[in-house]
Amino acid sequence: MSSSKKSSDGKSSEIEEAVASLTMPFNKILLTSSDGESFEIDEAVARKFQIIAHMIEDDCAGKAIPIDNVTGDILSKIIEYAKKHVVEPDEDEDEEAKKKLDSWDAKFVEKLDLETIFKIILAANYLNFEGLLGFASQTVADYIKDKTPEEVREIFNIENDFTPEEEEAIRKENAWTFNG
Amino acid sequence: MSLKNIVREFRVKNKCKAIGRRGRSHIAPEGSSVSSSLSTNEGLNQSIWVDLPPELLLDIIHRIESEQTLWPARRDVVACASVCRSWREMTKEVVKVPEVSGLLTFPISLRQPGPRDDPIQCFIKRERATGIYRLYLGLSPALSGDKSKLLLSAKRVRRATGAEFVVSLSGNDFSRSSSNYIGKLRSNFLGTKFTVYENQPPPFNRKLPPSMQVSPWVSSSSSSYNIASILYELNVLRTRGPRRMQCIMHSIPISAIQEGGKIQSPPTDFINQGKKKKKPLMDFCSGNLGGESVVKEPLILKNKSPRWHEQLQCWCLNFKGRVTVASVKNFQLVAAAAEAGKNMNIPEEEQERVILQFGKIGKDIFTMDYRYPISAFQAFAICLSSFDTKPVCE
Repeated sequence: MSSSKKSSDGKSSEIEEAVASLTMPFNKILLTSSDGESFEIDEAVARKFQIIAHMIEDDCAGKAIPIDNVTGDILSKIIEYAKKHVVEPDEDEDEEAKKKLDSWDAKFVEKLDLETIFKIILAANYLNFEGLLGFASQTVADYIKDKTPEEVREIFNIENDFTPEEEEAIRKENAWTFNG
Repeated sequence: MSLKNIVREFRVKNKCKAIGRRGRSHIAPEGSSVSSSLSTNEGLNQSIWVDLPPELLLDIIHRIESEQTLWPARRDVVACASVCRSWREMTKEVVKVPEVSGLLTFPISLRQPGPRDDPIQCFIKRERATGIYRLYLGLSPALSGDKSKLLLSAKRVRRATGAEFVVSLSGNDFSRSSSNYIGKLRSNFLGTKFTVYENQPPPFNRKLPPSMQVSPWVSSSSSSYNIASILYELNVLRTRGPRRMQCIMHSIPISAIQEGGKIQSPPTDFINQGKKKKKPLMDFCSGNLGGESVVKEPLILKNKSPRWHEQLQCWCLNFKGRVTVASVKNFQLVAAAAEAGKNMNIPEEEQERVILQFGKIGKDIFTMDYRYPISAFQAFAICLSSFDTKPVCE
């Protein structure tokens, strides 16, 4: 959307440049986190977030979009993931690329603690970024695998709110379940 | 219960929890050390996971349930149901009954009807020295090995009046007053008639204050229901041929296998919400009896008649590879199409369907495949009757 006016003299070109620098190149979008951090990303990347994609479709996306529910540290992680996943390789057509991406994904999540993953889930849900939401949820599901109920409670810091009778029944249930 | 209701309840509960938590000291969950690494903000004292929207938690639990279908991995699903109330509700929503999923998940699955199409395949190991019979989920010890899930165990007890088998959830606890006790099988002196009793814990008494409640699982006043009679035909004439057997399923109506039929399973509600009918939270192992143990027109099972194979000179049944050793104990049960001259109105395909199949595959190893409308417990009990030697029937 940069000005297409032909410059007749040097001054007009200055104005042109000023205008150009103020307005973003048409395929870039600026996201601002709740704590004021800004990220300039390609439109293709921004479209991974369905709520932004819809805004673009409905033509009500300005160039700068505030993301009120997400802090900068989380938003940067999400954008990092989105950039890698702009094009999803087809497992059948390009197995090599899919493997590489899976490996990247594994390393990406390995460095994150559970609290960050939780925040990513909430943010991905808010932004409607299905790919990352699914991936993060699966990561949490994998955390739970092969754990006893006590271990799960400990990991997620969840309170045991069963009554003593219910607790007794559950103990019996678990005795059968874990009887090998 | 609809997801909307769960979500609404979940939100209300957590609001109240947040308010109540302010003045309370941190109580560590039982069996765990207080993990300082997690709760760095002692002031907050609240799990962030409590704020996870229910639909997202449901998705996570759903992922676990659909991935962990084989035992022992299936434990993870039961673990999810044991974390806290909201997780239990979610898990109960996600897990489908064996009739639908073909999977056994909770102990109660053993009392629920099997799937209509492909049977649930199990095997039974007999321990001659101790008189203990163990039912495992799996194709065979060779194929499933040590990882096979132990479902039920039975111990044979000799009495003056006949044999008795005590069925338990535990591999070594056969006490009738134990909460692991599921039921028993009792025979007459000749071993021609067996009665199957299923134990039903008494309903939870909401009128008593919590301090007065006796744990419903260990109670002498739990009722025992006669749910089936198994009859072996006396072979007085000593004619050659396989013995004939018949099972009258007192707790299963014939309508269950008629056109459009299904089994009603009224829940034993432990978390009563007054008028609101809710899926039971704590249905540890309550069966599908709901007070009505004898139906007017019970389902009758008969064993399929084998064909005489002229070349092999023996009686043959097509066990589809699941039975490999000839034995008089082997049988296939189908629904009796007619009884005492009366037509039972069973669709033809149902008449052909083998509801229970049992047979030998090795020394002290037998396979058991069962289908709707009988449950794992009922199937196991019927198979146990086959172990009692019946010289008069052979």
